Amino acid sequence: MTVALDVNPEHTYSWIDAAAPTHPSLIDTAHRTGDLFGFVNIPMAVWIDEAGNLVRPAEAASIERNPLQDMEIPEGLPERLNLAFREIKKFPDVALAYRAAIVDWAHNGATSRFALSPDEVISRSQPRPNSHARAAACFEIGQHVLRTVGHDAAVPWWREAHELFPENWTYKRQAWTLVTTPVGATENDLMQGPNDVYPGNWLDDVIAGGGGETYAVIPQL
Amino acid sequence: MILHTLEDVLPIHIAEATGWSARPEGMCRGDVCVPAPGALRADGTVDIQTMATRLGMPLVHDDAHGVWALGPATATGRALSTAAAADPELIDRNGHPFRLSSLRGRKVLLVAWSSY
Repeated sequence: MTVALDVNPEHTYSWIDAAAPTHPSLIDTAHRTGDLFGFVNIPMAVWIDEAGNLVRPAEAASIERNPLQDMEIPEGLPERLNLAFREIKKFPDVALAYRAAIVDWAHNGATSRFALSPDEVISRSQPRPNSHARAAACFEIGQHVLRTVGHDAAVPWWREAHELFPENWTYKRQAWTLVTTPVGATENDLMQGPNDVYPGNWLDDVIAGGGGETYAVIPQL
Repeated sequence: MILHTLEDVLPIHIAEATGWSARPEGMCRGDVCVPAPGALRADGTVDIQTMATRLGMPLVHDDAHGVWALGPATATGRALSTAAAADPELIDRNGHPFRLSSLRGRKVLLVAWSSY
């Protein structure tokens, strides 16, 4: 099943309709699954067995190699776009191994070497210090006042969430896209560049966080 | 979890939002119970401050808009305190509610994505 972490469900419809999924395709307008499962970026996934128990915690969930990683960077691109491509090319790629692990678990269930014990699932789940938990509360207040008051009321709370938990890309990307997407645009701005509302932006924060190599929670298979 | 008041909060609402159940033996989720004397009041409501302290949940207040947000538990220092999967109510493309628990008996690969 898929879950879109998106405060505005309308932003997901064109993607869902294009995919025409045969599996449950859901929308999480409050980012609750982020807190409950430990998603800090997308795509990430958890594995759940027939009894409703997690057998793998949240980890990056690409199942095919990102075509941008093999693309020749065209000459003459604007500098920031060129830099963004360079960082994307650094993303660790374990997509095929992750897909194979999923298939192994589907066939072998609890005997799959990729299915973890409950203690391993917990110990391998994302760290949650007090600062991350407080960031979650700040992000949630931001979402609440976004809906009940307006966007300007959300901004201070989301700024605080970003500061408390800079490794959480869903908090940042969700907020950035709402200020960098032009009014009336039919699709979200994925570049999420420098803006006057938040101190960070996608490219500079990726670089500041250690570069593309550290952008995803890579599965330890 | 958004709260408009810290009084008269029922265990069922806490369980729905956080996955933690207020029981006489403490705050429990899956097979994990954290002792929390006083969290479940005699009148059946939850003492939010006590619960938050015991589970390491930050309680953040927005003075301007009169709401609190109760953050997730930090009791284990990890995002998960139990391997029992949470069961939040989500919506589908048409706004209909859906629960993960409706897929019990099947393996589930739950993939998070976004439009941004």
